[in-house]
Amino acid sequence: MPLFGQLDLSTIAPHLPTLPDLDTHAWALPGAETMQLLLETPRGAADALLPKAMHPAVPSYLAFTFTRCPESPVGPFTFATVRLGSRAGAHPRGLVLGAYASTPEAADGLRRGWGFPASAAKVSLTRRHDRLMGTVVKDAVTVLDCALVNPEAISGSDVQLINWVTMANAPLDGTTSPMLIQVDPKYVFHKAERGRPEVSVFDPAAWNAGPLQPGNPIVATVATVDTDLPRIRFVMDPAKPVYQGTRRIRESRADE
Amino acid sequence: MKFGIFYEISVPRPWTREREREVYMNCLEQVKLADELGFEQVWAVEHHFLEEYSHCSAPELFLTACAMVTKNIRVGHGIVVCVPEFNHPIKIAERTATLDILSGGRLEVGTGRSATWTELGGFRANPDDTKKSWDEFVRCLPKMWMQESFSYQGEFWSMPERTILPKVYQRPHPPMWVAVTSPGTELDAADRGLGSLGLTFAGFAEQEKKIREYRRRIQLCEPVGAFVNEQVGTTNFLFCHEDNDIGVATGKRLGDTFNYLAAQLISTREVFASRSYQSLGLLPQLRRAATGPDASSEQAEGLCFGDPARIIRAIKRWESIGVDRINFLLNANEVVPQEQVLASLRLFAKEVMPAFATPASKRALAPAAAGGA
Repeated sequence: MPLFGQLDLSTIAPHLPTLPDLDTHAWALPGAETMQLLLETPRGAADALLPKAMHPAVPSYLAFTFTRCPESPVGPFTFATVRLGSRAGAHPRGLVLGAYASTPEAADGLRRGWGFPASAAKVSLTRRHDRLMGTVVKDAVTVLDCALVNPEAISGSDVQLINWVTMANAPLDGTTSPMLIQVDPKYVFHKAERGRPEVSVFDPAAWNAGPLQPGNPIVATVATVDTDLPRIRFVMDPAKPVYQGTRRIRESRADE
Repeated sequence: MKFGIFYEISVPRPWTREREREVYMNCLEQVKLADELGFEQVWAVEHHFLEEYSHCSAPELFLTACAMVTKNIRVGHGIVVCVPEFNHPIKIAERTATLDILSGGRLEVGTGRSATWTELGGFRANPDDTKKSWDEFVRCLPKMWMQESFSYQGEFWSMPERTILPKVYQRPHPPMWVAVTSPGTELDAADRGLGSLGLTFAGFAEQEKKIREYRRRIQLCEPVGAFVNEQVGTTNFLFCHEDNDIGVATGKRLGDTFNYLAAQLISTREVFASRSYQSLGLLPQLRRAATGPDASSEQAEGLCFGDPARIIRAIKRWESIGVDRINFLLNANEVVPQEQVLASLRLFAKEVMPAFATPASKRALAPAAAGGA
């Protein structure tokens, strides 16, 4: 069978976000602009960050995502995440390693609602004629500086944005314990572009990314989308293969 | 209806010193038996870097070994990745011609362009270009095989006039196919007069529609080769057992293992936004199948595992929608012990093949098949 992750959960459980419950309300995020950079990363180190429930992607890759949300229940904000490409059973997923949001309200909502390991920082997504630049500055230190270079228009149907998985402590069956939470936004594309990904600054410690560094570039995309952060539907035991440890929290979305 | 076998050459971890050799030897033993039993083709894929799923990166060597231990079975090089970073077209022409000679004119040539980022990224190939390079390659190959001298100036490769040697043994040249996974590729096959080598396990309705369109379209094709290879092949699993419950359970284990391994691949579309890869191809079906509850009953009906009667029913259905040949995957990650694979082949040949035999093929059925040896 495929390889599984090797994360020692006990080392990170005390530091994970804690959800008060799994009854998170959805956030509608219309007109969001989301930039995603994909770059490969060495697998040995990546497997050590992946819970035992999940399979590594082959090759391993990192997804750097900036999403600027002009409208949300907590007002306008921009957030950035670093995810590790992986598999939950047979399904491609991006495990969220680290996250920052441009407002404290957004960071708190992301943390308590979906288990994003988010904190507030200066997060910006800036468009120039030849590139889109994403930067995260935390305590006056740049922890991520990256860009989509030479954007060219493509169809939204060419873009595939995979679902997210967060790790958090959450209550279930009377016990609060670490679990994996599936976050599966919907996307309606209005505009999409593609370019070359470049990462000039990446501080892996600031993103809970161990020794990982971005390597072989894959591709970068930016899209204007109507999207959301939906109610939690599935959680998974981080220590069991997902086909044994997945729990459905509520029925599928009405639009599925 | 003709029957073949199909190899990804899947090797489970841990990869001990002898593990890969053992799997290769098992495959060769199966091919030798399949030849004796009257199977008509053996196909081997070209894949690179696909851990456990496929360790078949040099299929021309495996197929040469197959040809050396068999008498009648045709050897299908399928598919050759027609992307210059993977294979130079001159080398493809030379290798295939050599294999055709060594096999005594038993070569079939499948073509394709790779569907995974794992492979395309590994060779630093540009996914945007693979469909175009495939088109150039398939138009050049027949000329390289047939013309005494050849020169070419294209977008993806070029060469001054030279004589490409050796020449193929079959005249005018071996049959050519294209792997069909993405929707619409069956039309590319038809337009070029190529056989449609289906690598999907899709339900009957979808396949029937594709086949009907392929048959209609190929009537007006401009063949890239010297002849039109109007044939529709499809892929299936095979596990045949006297006890239907055992056959179904073992076959399901085989299918689930294959599907789960396949679903681990990084399809190009999953990570690389490109018009050239608008479909996830085979993977969504396999993911559905791998997760069990979503697997449609129609898919299960079409799979060739169970007792001979069940398998005959499934094949009759494929035959009724226009499939000419079925190539069977016999194992994945060695989940079926070798002796059971061989017994399944023997039982299939004894109980299932006769139901599809023409008078001529009945006479040709090997004693091993007839006697169930």
